[in-house]
Amino acid sequence: MLGVGRDGARGEWRVAEVPTARGDGPAFEPEPPAARPAGLMKPGASRAPTSGLARPAGSPSLDEADAWAALVAVDGIGPVTLGAALAAGGSGRAVLEMAAGPGGPARLADAVAARGGRLDIALARAIADAAQQAPALAARVRGLGITVVTIESTAYPERLRLLDLPPPVLFLRGDPSALHASRSVAVVGTRRASERGRRIAGAIGGALASAGALVVSGLAVGIDGAAHAAAVASGGRTVAVLGSGHERLYPRAHAHLADEIVAGGGAIVSELAPDVGPLPGTFPRRNRVISGLADASVIVEAGERSGALITASWTLEQGRECFVVPGPIDVPQSVGCNRMLRLYPGQARAVPGVAELLEDLGLMATDGPPRVDARSLRAGRTVGPDPEAILAGRGTVEAAVARALLPRAATLQELVDETGHAPATILAILTRLENDGLVVAALGRYAVGGSLAATTPTGRRTHLGHGSVVREAGG
Amino acid sequence: MLATVLSATLRGLEGRPVRVEVDVAPGLPGFTIVGLADAALRESRERVRGALRNAGFVHPPRRITVNLAPADVPKAGSALDLGIAIAILVGSEQVHPQGRWALLGELGLGGEVRPVPGLLPMIAALARRGAGRVVVPADALDEARLVPGIIALPAASLGQAAELVRGRRVRGHGPMSRAELIPEEAESVPGSTPVDESWPDLADVRGQAEARRALEIAVAGGHALLMIGAPGSGKTLLARTIPSLLPPLDAAEAQEATVIASVAGDGPVRRLVTRRPFRAPHHTASYAALVGGGPRLAPGEVTRAHHGVLFLDELPEFDRAAREALRQPLEEGRIAIARVGGAVEMPARFQLVAAMNPCPCGWAGDPSGRCTCPLGLPDRYAARVSGPFRDRLDLWIGVPRVAPQALLAPEDGEASVLVAARVAAVRVRQLEARGRLAGRLSGRALRAACLLDTAAERTAIGLADAAGLTARATERLLRVARTIADLDNAERVQVHHLEEAARYRVPAMPSLSARGG
Repeated sequence: MLGVGRDGARGEWRVAEVPTARGDGPAFEPEPPAARPAGLMKPGASRAPTSGLARPAGSPSLDEADAWAALVAVDGIGPVTLGAALAAGGSGRAVLEMAAGPGGPARLADAVAARGGRLDIALARAIADAAQQAPALAARVRGLGITVVTIESTAYPERLRLLDLPPPVLFLRGDPSALHASRSVAVVGTRRASERGRRIAGAIGGALASAGALVVSGLAVGIDGAAHAAAVASGGRTVAVLGSGHERLYPRAHAHLADEIVAGGGAIVSELAPDVGPLPGTFPRRNRVISGLADASVIVEAGERSGALITASWTLEQGRECFVVPGPIDVPQSVGCNRMLRLYPGQARAVPGVAELLEDLGLMATDGPPRVDARSLRAGRTVGPDPEAILAGRGTVEAAVARALLPRAATLQELVDETGHAPATILAILTRLENDGLVVAALGRYAVGGSLAATTPTGRRTHLGHGSVVREAGG
Repeated sequence: MLATVLSATLRGLEGRPVRVEVDVAPGLPGFTIVGLADAALRESRERVRGALRNAGFVHPPRRITVNLAPADVPKAGSALDLGIAIAILVGSEQVHPQGRWALLGELGLGGEVRPVPGLLPMIAALARRGAGRVVVPADALDEARLVPGIIALPAASLGQAAELVRGRRVRGHGPMSRAELIPEEAESVPGSTPVDESWPDLADVRGQAEARRALEIAVAGGHALLMIGAPGSGKTLLARTIPSLLPPLDAAEAQEATVIASVAGDGPVRRLVTRRPFRAPHHTASYAALVGGGPRLAPGEVTRAHHGVLFLDELPEFDRAAREALRQPLEEGRIAIARVGGAVEMPARFQLVAAMNPCPCGWAGDPSGRCTCPLGLPDRYAARVSGPFRDRLDLWIGVPRVAPQALLAPEDGEASVLVAARVAAVRVRQLEARGRLAGRLSGRALRAACLLDTAAERTAIGLADAAGLTARATERLLRVARTIADLDNAERVQVHHLEEAARYRVPAMPSLSARGG
C-alpha cells in the first residue's frame, strides 16, 4: 500500500480520514498514564505492557498488544484500516472476537461501515483467519524474543508518534528504552558505498555514539552497516530499522551485526510482522521510520536513485534536520548527495567535517569527544576515540600494522613496504586484529574496523582508487 | 594367401599389440575388416585402397578379409593402416617379407605414412611383446626412439615401408645402433629444467606480497588455490609462474608426461617431456575436453595437467557438470572414464589453480567503485563456486590491482629459483614425514600431522568459531597451517601458523564487507 514514490506514498497516507495519533480518535489516543500498570517498562523488559484491559476468557495468553500484532500481520491492513477497525470494535481483541464468530466478517465490515469507514469483506475474512492464528503468532513472537510495542504503550517512541499516521505497532528486539534516547541521529546512505564512504559513515557513527547520541540506521550493507558497527564498537547504542520481518532479517550477512547491536543495548525494530520478507515496497516504508525515529538524518553517500534520498525527503517532510555529506562531483556515490544540497538549499545542510556535524547537532557540549575548532582541525588533531588508547597493550608489531592502516586501507604489499615486517608475520597479525574487530579484510585489501574506524584523525589521507590521494580535511 | 604382421592400438594411455591377419582369397572382389574396429578404422579400407593404388601397387581384385586379433579388444584409430596395407601386399605376394615385422602409421591416399597419436605407448607395448623392430612414420622417429629395447625404422611412404619389409635399406636410414636408441638422459636429471624464456618468472611479478606468499604455500604443500581479483590484477601471470616454482619432473614422472603428450596428439613428441605441464583450458571447454573421453578416448585437460598445473581461469563460468567431474581427480589423482566394455582410467594428479573475478563485471570491491553489477549479484556469482570446489580449494586469496607506482618500480621481486628451493625442501620434508603432501592430508592423518599444543589448540578453536567454520573448512585451515609450519621449519603447528592460515579462508565477498567503517 505504500508506493516507492515518496509523493505517491504520502498521497495515500493523506487519503485517510480516520483518526490519527495526533487526532482525537479513540483507537490511537494514548491512554492516560494512570491506567498503565506500573513498572512494566523497565529497560530490557521482554514484553510490552498490556493495554490494561482485562484478558478475555478462553485466551489467557492473548493480550491487547498480541491482538494488534495479529491485526497488522494481516496482508492489506495498514494504519488506516486498522484505525477504522479499532474504532468500530473498541479494542484489538474485540475486533478479533467480532471477526471470529459465525458471520463475523460481515458483522465487522458492517460495524466499520457504520462508523463511516470501509472494510473490504475479503479483508474482514482475513481478520477472522488472523484471529484463529493469533495465539500461535503471539507464541512465535515471544519465542523470537520480540517485544510488541503498540502506539498505546509508553514504550512507543515519542518521535515516531509525531508522524502523520505513525506505525501502530513496532516489533522490537532488544532494549525498548533505546528508542527514548535524548538525542537520536539517523546515519544512512547507499548500499553501494565506496571505501571512503564507509569510513566516513563509521567516523560519524562512532563520533555520534561517543557523544551519547543514538545512531539510527537501516542495517543495510554499505553505509548503514558501517554506521551501526562503529556505534557498537564505540560502546554506544544504535537502533536498526528493518525493511522486513524479524524472521526474515535482511541482509542475512548482517545477522551477526544485529546480534551485536542488541548485545550493545540497542534494538532491532520492524513495523512488519515477523514473517514478512524483504520486498521492494517495504524499504521506502522502512526509511520513513528511520527518519521518524531520529531528530536529524545524515546522508553519507547516495547515488542518483539511492533509497537514502527517500529517507532524506522523509526527514524534510517530517520537519527534522537533514545533513548531507558532500562528495566529489565525478563519483556516482556522491551524485544524490550533491543534488540534495543543490535542490534544498537552506534545508539540507552540508557536513564539512565530523566536528562541525557534532557542533551543529549541539552534541559538542556533552561529555563526548573534545571540542575541536578550525585551528586544531588544520593541525590534524583528532576527534573521536584516540587510536593510541585502543592500541595500548598490543605488541609493537601489531600496533605498527594497525597504525599503518589508520590513514587508509592497504594491501599486504603496502603493509610490508611500510612496516618492513615479513608477509607471513603481518598476515598472522592481521588475523589477530581482525578477530578483535580492529581490522576488516576484503579481497586482498585491509582497513581499520570497529573502534579504530571510529577514530577520525582529521587531515587523514584517503585513497580514491589508485594514485589519487586527497586531503580529506584541513589540507 | 594368409599374411600376418604386428601392429598396435590404444586404450586410454595404454598400448595394446594387435595381430593383423589378412587373407587374400579368390572370389568376388571385396574388402572386409573384422575384430571390433571403430569408425576411423573401418574408413581405413578407403585409405588403404587409395594408398596401394597411388604408391604403384595393385589393390588385388580378390576377396580380402582383415582380421584384427585379439578379437575382443576394441581397436581404434588409424595406426593400423600401414600394417593392413603391408599385410595385403604380403598376402597378394607383391612383397616378400624378410622376417617378422611390426608396423605403425596412418596412410594418406597418395601412400604417405603419417604420424599417429600415442605412438610412444604403442611402441612400448610392442617392445614388451618382444617385437624386435618396428616401422614408424618418419616424422615421428624421434618419438619412437624414446623407447628402449626396440629398433624403430622410419618410413615416409608406403613404398619405403615395403622396401624395409623386403629387407632393403631405405636411403639415408640404415638400422640404428643401440647407442642412438637410448634417449638423452641429461634432461631428466633433477635441477636441470631448461630455462624457457616464454614462461614468466616470479621476479616479473610486481608487488602482490600476499599472492606470492599464497603461491609458495600452495605449491609447497600441493594445495589448490583460488585467486579472486579484478581483470588485469595479475592472476594469470601469477598462475603462469607456478611451473617455475615446482621441482622438475623426475625420471618416472617425465616418462608418464611424455606418454600423455604422445597420446594427446598435438603432433609427434620430439624429446622426453621434462617440463611440468601448464594447462589452461578455456571456460567454454566441453566436459569431454576437460575430463577426457570422446570417440578417440583422448586424455582430457585433467590428465594432460598430470604432474603439472591445471589453471581454470573464470572458474564460475565453467560448466557445472565439468566442475563436479573434477572431484575425483582432486581426491584420487586419477580419472575414470566409463566406456562400453569397461572404464578406462587415466592419471590426473595436478596442482589446481583457479581464478575468478569477484563479480561478472569484475570490479566489485575495487576502491574505484567501478562495479556496475546490481547489488547482490557479486554474492550470487561467488556462490556459483560451491560444493566440491569450496571444500577442495585450500587457499583463497584476493588479488588487488597493483598501483601504477609499484608497476613502474625498478626493483624485481624475489626470483622463482629462490622460492623453488624452499618449495622443494618442504616437499621433501612432507613426503619423508608423512608420505604425502599436506594438501592431500585429511582425517586422522591430518590430525596426527597437526598435533597442537594448548595455545595453538585454543587458537584453532577460536578461529574456527569466529568464522563459523565447518569441519571441512577446519581441515583446510589445519592443512594450510601444516605447510606454513613446514615452510617455517617448525616441527609443530604453532599459533602464528594457524593465524596466517586463517587469512586464506573463504573471504566475505565485497558487497558483504560493509562493516569496513
